[in-house]
Amino acid sequence: MIYKGIAGAEGIGIGKALVVREADLDYSHVVFSGAEKETKRLQTAIAAFCETVTAMQEKLTASVGEKQAEILNGQIMMIQDPFMTSQMQDFIENGQCAEAAVDAVCNMYIEMFSSVEDDLTRQRATDIRDMRARLLGILLGQTEVDLSDLPPETVLVARDFSPSMTANMQKEHIVGILSETGSKTSHSAILARSLELPAVMSVENICTLLENGDTVIVDGTRGEAVVRPAQGILEAYASKRAQLKTEKQALRAFAGKKTVTADGKQLAVYANIGKPDDVSAVLQNDGEGVGLFRTEFLFMDRAALPSEEEQFAAYRAVAAQMQGNEVIIRTLDVGGDKDIPYLHMEREENPFLGHRAVRYCLDNPESYKVQLRALLRASAYGNIKIMLPLVTTVSEVRRVRELLESVKAELRTENIKFNENIPVGVMIETPAVALTAETLAKEADFFSIGTNDLTQYTMAVDRGNSKVSALYSHYNPAVLRLIKQTADAANRAGIPVGMCGEAAADQAFMPLLIAFGLHEFSVTPAAVLPTRKTVSLWSKTDADALAERVLTLSTAEEVAAALQEAARV
Amino acid sequence: MVSKCVQVTNKMGFHMRPANVFVSAMGKYKCDVFIVFNGKEINGKSIMNIMASCIKCGADIEIRCDGEDETAALQEAVQLVESGLGDEQ
Repeated sequence: MIYKGIAGAEGIGIGKALVVREADLDYSHVVFSGAEKETKRLQTAIAAFCETVTAMQEKLTASVGEKQAEILNGQIMMIQDPFMTSQMQDFIENGQCAEAAVDAVCNMYIEMFSSVEDDLTRQRATDIRDMRARLLGILLGQTEVDLSDLPPETVLVARDFSPSMTANMQKEHIVGILSETGSKTSHSAILARSLELPAVMSVENICTLLENGDTVIVDGTRGEAVVRPAQGILEAYASKRAQLKTEKQALRAFAGKKTVTADGKQLAVYANIGKPDDVSAVLQNDGEGVGLFRTEFLFMDRAALPSEEEQFAAYRAVAAQMQGNEVIIRTLDVGGDKDIPYLHMEREENPFLGHRAVRYCLDNPESYKVQLRALLRASAYGNIKIMLPLVTTVSEVRRVRELLESVKAELRTENIKFNENIPVGVMIETPAVALTAETLAKEADFFSIGTNDLTQYTMAVDRGNSKVSALYSHYNPAVLRLIKQTADAANRAGIPVGMCGEAAADQAFMPLLIAFGLHEFSVTPAAVLPTRKTVSLWSKTDADALAERVLTLSTAEEVAAALQEAARV
Repeated sequence: MVSKCVQVTNKMGFHMRPANVFVSAMGKYKCDVFIVFNGKEINGKSIMNIMASCIKCGADIEIRCDGEDETAALQEAVQLVESGLGDEQ
């Protein structure tokens, strides 16, 4: 059976499904089966709990150290509290099922711990919540999926993949990704592309359609999931997969070469990364620089802000490995869909129009200065450029520069070396800055167009909402004009302009970017060579002619059709 | 029933690890063990209740043991608290 979805990352993956189910801890259907039986169920669940947690603890100790694992040890101590289990027992004696007993007693303790004044003790409430969820899960017969220990040839299936889930998964055993929600630009799709894993997003009901162990084909190029395929189909896909592999090898001819148009104009293809480890993929795919280092991952999956030393080490590692090639580091882009719990940001009615990115950072100068200090210190070890996300006004750039100058002064008095002329650029993600690019170009050292947000803010469309996502396309004439206008302003001012959004890797789009006069394209590492190849197929003259024609078109569909027709491979 | 007043001397008070040292030791006695703190009687064999009571360094507590092996239990309990519950001083 073939199910349609949205192509998230190219390629074909064939493997066994592993469905990551969201825990449904509703136990209202559980019938009390007698005090003796319920007691036994409770005891068995507690034993299983200890076993699971001990195993997790051992693994955690090995991977991140004893200190982190201590938290889990605390859960084992707590669950073995004889007084607490006797309280659960009381509920069972009164005719409640084991689930209800666990729920009631844990809730009582959660309330008790939440109301104390001591911070450290209050945090224990989180442990008890975790404990309750795990115990209920065990009682309800749900098996926890451990993404850090997957069988080989796994196709991961989930409603959605959270950034923290993806951080722990064992990548080398995954052959494909399927999700019920999301689009080409959701985190899981971006991650899949950077890992070169085929992915299909927004496949309706895929979590219900698939059982663990089912054979499934992920066709990330056509955006299809083939569930329990017949032998013939399986073979057809396997040979297609082999063919794709051959094509990929042919692309290797572009490795180690410069990025030049057919008429000899030199451009550059950079790569986007999320953490220092990703640099190896950049080097493998011959990226000429890092065009976007998203620093959020340094801030996620932890309990407090990363220290200056930690940030410095990460930035320096990337800069040093890139050996003098440009590394554009984007300062913290928090908010919107990226929540960092310990920052305790207020819930907002409209997070994408709210207190996010550079707005948040400027309002929290103390923590922002830590990042700026780390960036400046790392600038002594490579070619680092600082990029500001979600700028809407020139005054934001000025305020960052003021902060940066104060940090520079601190470093000078401490005799710490850094690049005095570290470039500060602006990510063009809002119509506001695209429309005022002319004035902004006088105060920014470079521009990088972030097409994902630019498209979303220009078209007023939530890219994750499938009801309106059809409007979300960088082919819209409005988006094209903003890109062109930004590039024109940059070229007039003599500052570099690049693109680091998803559109930069859209091969059909490339002639327009060449025509508009962009200098650098930053794409997911796997797209570096295909992009370099596409650039080599177009001369500036041909690209200009196509762009001139495309700019007369009035709809995204017409633009898409014209670009598809002109596409060169 | 036997009882004795002691002062909590370890830096962290009865947080997770010291509380665990205490309940593990008390678990082997048959008698009931209570900690009286701020006028409340806390089950001395329950790590959850001890932790929730936030007994900090410097707190004066009373330990009560009631049952057949109460004398031995009280002696060990007092000795544990006075020696800092396995915490660094």
